[in-house]
Amino acid sequence: MPPIDCEDQELLDGFLAETTELLEKLDDDLITLEKDSDDTELMNRIFRSIHTIKGASSFLGFDLLVKVAHKTEDVLNRLRKGELVVTPEIMDVILEATDLVKILVSDIKAGDIQERETEGTINKLLPFLTVAAAAVVQPPLQPTTATEPVVTPPSVTPSSEPAAAPEAVADSAPSQPPGAAPLPVPKPAADAPKKTAPPPKPVQGKGGGDDLSDNTTVRVDVKRLDDLMNQVGELVLERNRMIQINQDLQQNEVNRVDFNEDFGKLTKRMSFVTSELQMQVLKMRMLPVEKVFKKFPRIVRSMSRDLGKEVDLQIVGEETELDRSVVDEIGDPLIHLIRNAMDHGLETPEERLAAGKSRGGTLVLAAVHEGNQIIISIKDDGRGIDTERVGRKAIEKGLITEEQFTAMGQREVFDLLFLPGFSTKEKATDLSGRGVGMDVVKTNIKKLNGLIEIKSTKGAGSEFILRLPLTLAIIQSLLVEVVGEIYSIPLSSVLETIRVDQRKFHLIGGQEVLKLRDIVLPLIRLQKVFNVQPRGETEDFCYVVVVGAAEKRMGLVVTRLVGQQEVAIKSLGNYLANIPGIAGSTILGDGRVALIIDPVAMSEVFE
Amino acid sequence: MQNALVPVKADATHDELIQLVSFNLDQEEYGVDVLKVREIIRMPVVTRVPNTPHYVEGVINLRGKVVPIISMRKKFGLIESENDKQTRIMVMDMDGELMGFIVDAVSEVIRISGSEIQPSPAMVAGGIDQECIAGVINQAERLLVLLNLEKMFSRDEKNMFTGM
Repeated sequence: MPPIDCEDQELLDGFLAETTELLEKLDDDLITLEKDSDDTELMNRIFRSIHTIKGASSFLGFDLLVKVAHKTEDVLNRLRKGELVVTPEIMDVILEATDLVKILVSDIKAGDIQERETEGTINKLLPFLTVAAAAVVQPPLQPTTATEPVVTPPSVTPSSEPAAAPEAVADSAPSQPPGAAPLPVPKPAADAPKKTAPPPKPVQGKGGGDDLSDNTTVRVDVKRLDDLMNQVGELVLERNRMIQINQDLQQNEVNRVDFNEDFGKLTKRMSFVTSELQMQVLKMRMLPVEKVFKKFPRIVRSMSRDLGKEVDLQIVGEETELDRSVVDEIGDPLIHLIRNAMDHGLETPEERLAAGKSRGGTLVLAAVHEGNQIIISIKDDGRGIDTERVGRKAIEKGLITEEQFTAMGQREVFDLLFLPGFSTKEKATDLSGRGVGMDVVKTNIKKLNGLIEIKSTKGAGSEFILRLPLTLAIIQSLLVEVVGEIYSIPLSSVLETIRVDQRKFHLIGGQEVLKLRDIVLPLIRLQKVFNVQPRGETEDFCYVVVVGAAEKRMGLVVTRLVGQQEVAIKSLGNYLANIPGIAGSTILGDGRVALIIDPVAMSEVFE
Repeated sequence: MQNALVPVKADATHDELIQLVSFNLDQEEYGVDVLKVREIIRMPVVTRVPNTPHYVEGVINLRGKVVPIISMRKKFGLIESENDKQTRIMVMDMDGELMGFIVDAVSEVIRISGSEIQPSPAMVAGGIDQECIAGVINQAERLLVLLNLEKMFSRDEKNMFTGM
């Protein structure tokens, strides 16, 4: 079969989109299958996915892909028929094969089809086709003529396979070494160009094909699109109404009272329609957090095998939706937190039994909406954070002094975990211990204007709670006045606002602080940080906006609170991109520009 | 369009016509390539941006886009003056980013041939950086300094903007 020379881009795009989607689901399904191997429906679904991939790629002439998919399919087929039983070993191989398929697909996506070494993986699959000698595996349905020579019947012994294979690869691969005409039947007297084809590149490390997902296109529910169209229709009506009112006004056909009333009504309807519209568009940008979460069962599985721990990962609220921009950023921090929980938090089965717990640990990954925030928590029932040990380690590393430690509350001790380079592990392992992880978590969460909270009970487990804004494009903000200048503070970082007498401020080591209930809150005077020229005498009373950035809390001293407003974030452009304490700008109702304060950077200015 | 820029940059002996926008700053006349000027506007409300170099006047709202504003007088070390009716902001395209420059007045668009551009004299008084002077146009009645504003911010300054 001649390979399609990919001029039919549409066909190829369709293939890639479909395959990518199938592969994303496949990982998750495979893990589920391992836990529950009796689920025939699931089994069939997996089989169908891989079969579809094989069918489509053979149609398009991606022979390398067909080969791998085909063998995987054969193994799955035997599992399906009950000729084989699902074991972790089989799963390992199937997962490896899936990874290889991902790599091959991403090659195709990149438009750079390479000859990759597929034999290693295929050879691992083969034993599962030949054991239990009975079965003759028939390639179901799909006559894959092009690959027929490659698909060695299982009767051939595995040992003879490697020898035959490399030749077959060179022949059937649709990749374009110059002059290598795709030949359906391997000729022994292969022409020269084939021999000079570049040696197959080794398959990249595990998970090399992870980043298949494409972020340039969106799938939108048709219903949502219809709703959007409705809203736009209404907006057009309101616009016409506005034009009418304006015309009447120009021609002096209305009296003042009527105009006021009409215009007032119009304003209300306009604001209603636009906010509906905003919600609709926002919803379209939303993705279920599942997109990130579904990677984790796989990670947890391989980690628990590596660590020799038994872990039951429970995922709650994966349908919770959040903005694409946020989804793209939370993957990394979550991986770190999960690693930490598995490596530091959960104990080995023996330790757990000794502590009177069940053998297997539980890791709960949950997502839930709360107001305009999303809360993601990672909770384990492991050993919890040993504040004593954390403190000792911090002293040992010279991060804090003995006196500082004794003065610290549990909260402050937990904050130590976020210091770069901090690790309680004696030795760094593959998984954790270099002290980078929590720093990454902190940085990414800060970038998203999020907050981190740690709850932990020694011996009973820990919980890391991330609070993230739903979107980064339009935010709720608190407008404040600093001696005549208006600034905007993202409401997601505002914890509370208080009106206080300046005489109640205390000075500790040159740092102004405020005693707020049981905590001592460091204060930052925005007037000083932003060099605002003072006007007239300062008043006794001022407002303190308590903000949180990742794990930090502080108070921003402002002159007056102006109000709460939904604002669209505008960038300040490259030239003014990195002004300390400023995250961006926004345009107020009166057309003026107001700067958005970055509580994160503010905390660093303060450091 | 592309060709029009070449003589200014490379060698000024070509006879190709180029168009310049001329503007005034402290009694002197300057010119910039017309293709770099996006628009010329009156002074709107400028929002001050803290912790920036002194010549950054702030940012403005240009039909929904936030554009930084530079005071040419401050940047070139000239005496500051009150804004008046003549004061304009020239919004320029600087490597794909918009940036506004406050000038005393914008006068006209002139055509000159590339051969009229002379290299700038070795010593130029005032605080204007040699770097951003692309040449001098010496006509009978006027002397016009041709600026290349993209060179206005030295590497250090750009770093200061972005690396602070």
